[in-house]
Amino acid sequence: MSISKKIALAAAATMLLAGSAFASDTQVALVPGGPHPYFTAWEQAGKDAAKDFGLAAADYKVPPKWELSAQNELLESLLTQGYNAFLIFPGDPVGSVSTANELTSAGAPVIALAGCLKDPSPAAFCLGTDTGHSAYLGTKELLKAMGGKKRIAHFTGFLVDPNTQLRIDAVEKAAKEEGAEVVQVIADIDAPEPAEEKINAYLAAHAGEVDGIITTAWVPAVVASNALRKIGDKRIKMVGIDHDEVVLKAIKDGYVDGTMLQNPYGQGYIGSFAADKLRTGCKVKADAPFKSNALTTKFIDSGTVFVDAAQVDTYVTAMQGITKDLFANFEKTYLDCAQ
Amino acid sequence: MSIDSHSATPTPASPSGGRVSGNPRFYLTNEFGLICLIVVFGLIFALLAKNFFSPFNLFALGRVAAVNVMIGFAMMVVIVTGGLNLAVGAIGVCGAMFCGFLIQVLGLPWPLAILLGLALGAGLGFINGFAVVRSGLHSFIITLATMSIFFGAMVFLTRAESFRGLPPIFSAFGTARLFGFVSPLLIVAALVGVLLSIMYRYTVVGREMLAAGAKPEAAALSGVPVGRTIILCHMLSGSLAALTALLVMARNGAAIPSMAGQLGQDWLLPAFLGPVLGGTLLSGGRASPLGTFLGAILVTMLTNGLLLLRVGEFWVQACLGVLLLFAVLVDKARRSYLAHLKVA
Amino acid sequence: MDRLVRADWFGPLLVTLVAVIGMAAFSPSFLSPLNVQVLLLALCINGLIAFSQMIIIAIGQMNLSVGAIGGLAAISFAGLMEVWGVPAPLAAILAICIGLIGGVLNGFFIAWTGISAFVITLASLSIFKGINLGITRAQPFYGVPESVKAFGNTTFLGPLPWLLIPCAIVFVATWYLLNRLSLGRQILAVGGNEHASALSGISVPRTVIAAHAISGVLAALAGIALVARLQIGQPTIGDDWLILSFAAPVIGGAVLSGGHVSVTATLLGVAIVAIITQALVLFHIDPFLVQVVLGGLILWAVGVNRWREVRVQRSLKRS
Repeated sequence: MSISKKIALAAAATMLLAGSAFASDTQVALVPGGPHPYFTAWEQAGKDAAKDFGLAAADYKVPPKWELSAQNELLESLLTQGYNAFLIFPGDPVGSVSTANELTSAGAPVIALAGCLKDPSPAAFCLGTDTGHSAYLGTKELLKAMGGKKRIAHFTGFLVDPNTQLRIDAVEKAAKEEGAEVVQVIADIDAPEPAEEKINAYLAAHAGEVDGIITTAWVPAVVASNALRKIGDKRIKMVGIDHDEVVLKAIKDGYVDGTMLQNPYGQGYIGSFAADKLRTGCKVKADAPFKSNALTTKFIDSGTVFVDAAQVDTYVTAMQGITKDLFANFEKTYLDCAQ
Repeated sequence: MSIDSHSATPTPASPSGGRVSGNPRFYLTNEFGLICLIVVFGLIFALLAKNFFSPFNLFALGRVAAVNVMIGFAMMVVIVTGGLNLAVGAIGVCGAMFCGFLIQVLGLPWPLAILLGLALGAGLGFINGFAVVRSGLHSFIITLATMSIFFGAMVFLTRAESFRGLPPIFSAFGTARLFGFVSPLLIVAALVGVLLSIMYRYTVVGREMLAAGAKPEAAALSGVPVGRTIILCHMLSGSLAALTALLVMARNGAAIPSMAGQLGQDWLLPAFLGPVLGGTLLSGGRASPLGTFLGAILVTMLTNGLLLLRVGEFWVQACLGVLLLFAVLVDKARRSYLAHLKVA
Repeated sequence: MDRLVRADWFGPLLVTLVAVIGMAAFSPSFLSPLNVQVLLLALCINGLIAFSQMIIIAIGQMNLSVGAIGGLAAISFAGLMEVWGVPAPLAAILAICIGLIGGVLNGFFIAWTGISAFVITLASLSIFKGINLGITRAQPFYGVPESVKAFGNTTFLGPLPWLLIPCAIVFVATWYLLNRLSLGRQILAVGGNEHASALSGISVPRTVIAAHAISGVLAALAGIALVARLQIGQPTIGDDWLILSFAAPVIGGAVLSGGHVSVTATLLGVAIVAIITQALVLFHIDPFLVQVVLGGLILWAVGVNRWREVRVQRSLKRS
């Protein structure tokens, strides 16, 4: 937690100058799909955005469980409570569309954050990590670290999460390009106990048959880092994901080669800014340079960056850099505010 | 709430039940206790939370409650036999995904697809029932295993892809508001409840189900085909689960493999809450569709009200637990007090 | 021989042996020291979870709050050490006390009100899990001391994990309790026939509370062991215990209506589930198919057990 706060404070400091403070009655709700350490940076991001842009509120509201219906219930309740702009990590890219429809038909703009809604959807746009691309880049970095050896294992999250399939495909693609082989995909392990059991069992039996590990979900990255430390194996290379303390420490100690950082703070901060603008008369530019991904044609990459042992102490700077660049041109590039 | 008191006979909740002289026993039923609690909490939330009675909130509340009620029914019809069906979530998702597949990939007309989805639910229920009756094992362990098998097979066949190409009538049904605040989903749930009540009270099949649950040996002696009846209960449970999932599908506008969580486990808590609060005996032999309906409404209302009161999303669950315990205790106290009065 | 075949643990033992031999034949790495260590760790922790439920099954009730109590004890253990710097042994004792209190509360409400354990523990599941989420806001505690981490992850005499020692003590103690102590006999008697045991002078409320207290302590121990093994105080600890906690005793021949459980057979049930989980990974089974295979294997295991029972009954009838 302390780390996400560090990021948050540092990022807030760099962006104070950007904000123009005039009061607005926009109440933004930042709603993740469920409790997950990835999203904690949104809380500070919302607070900073509310202060910097003079919003009535930008509150981080977590559904108590990872459950589409729990998230829907929370969103409906927030609308009843008077929130009028929503930044949502969709509990399901398809299933959340109808709830988003209800929110927008009540006059509240919706932005998909960190994960996208599937087109057609009422979301103004989707601001998040390009998960497939991140997995692809991570695999490339891993293969670089592995040198000539070519057998990798891939540990990833819940199969019902559509991002999981994107990640599996992306890792496969990157491996094929380099002539490497993905010998095992272990999925459904974005919870600590099954992850612990399956990853340890796999390494116990097959450690000799793999040269590298790519993880593309938070918990498997943590568990695999610990497992490599436990068996004291520095021969197997590994690239993790996100900025959990365990993973960062394993990078410092040399058990893990690097991690793919994402940018949750920037998502929350810029998302809150954009939601307010959209509510107060701005429109999304028709010719905005959106990217496309498997779900939507209105995608904005919030950035991803590879961090290895050399940069692990200053990774906060790396994350700030992405947010700053994105924010500097955001309004000009994506919004049309002629009033 | 009366799972302890085996003597609680299903008292007809006749329209005259409201008057003391008409039917004093009605005061002792769970249904009456639940109505009291719903009224009391409704008043508390109306006073403390603004917008609790706003049309949108009532609509949203009703829609969530409808799904919880239906999940409760799907479990109740098996609890009646003294068994459990842990696979309600998994069967439901299979039914909805099959329906989505038929519409999107095979292009079948939607009414036919719905029927086939329900049929698949009944079929999977048949597998459960058949395995339970033939093996003599407890339905707990059978449905624990089939939950894994059904859900796993569904994920394997669909590769966890959603079916989104549904005709607009589904999402229109899911988002429609009658009189500004009633969801059609709630009406479906109420209708199913009425049909179940009629079945248990007035049909031979329904009474056989209750008899097979209460005293299987006695029922078998008096000519009830116990095995066949239990299989029938599981089939009914399967098709009700599929119907529930179809309602969720209408609400979300798509058939999603994760609609009931991993392995369909997210449905387990609501599946037990409604029937148990409503006074369905876990040991079998008694069913209360009205109680299940009211129990699910009460739980949904508590969640909704606590969210509106902003007790903090993370404390909602703790408060819900305390209120549940409190509700159960108050109901217990009320009935023993009334029973005491009657004796005196 | 006949007595042997009729024992509860015979069927599960057969399945376990066949599974171990089969696995070792197909995959030599199955019996590698590291894999044995992984298996034993799973056996330890899952065994505690299964015992926590088994005690309640013995009195003919269900405890849905096993995971919630374990999770609350786990985050209390980690939280006490991180936030207040409480030394590990004291933190463990306090966490066990939390488990004990949770169990006593369950037992007290069940015995006092006469309301079904299912309902009471459903409510307390919500309360304990809710307190857990309220305290942690769903964020893990990271400040687990090195000594605790080492305890959960190092071994002695080759592949034997240190965690095995406290777990083995608990397993033996549970066996002793159920088979030798009068409290154990009372628990089984209440489970077998509550009315009759009350008539024969057993205090049913006291026995119910005692059983729930033991269950709470066992759940808390499992939570603490998991913190040591995972090296973090995860708020999600306990979320997925429920199915396993029932599966293992039932595979081990426990009667859900009470009065009949077997410590050895339950432990073998845990072993079967652990081996199945391992097999799926070792044999590179398509991740999408894992659930199907797992369900099928559970059915097969209980089927074998059932088939044995039926045969024994038939041979009894014949003689």
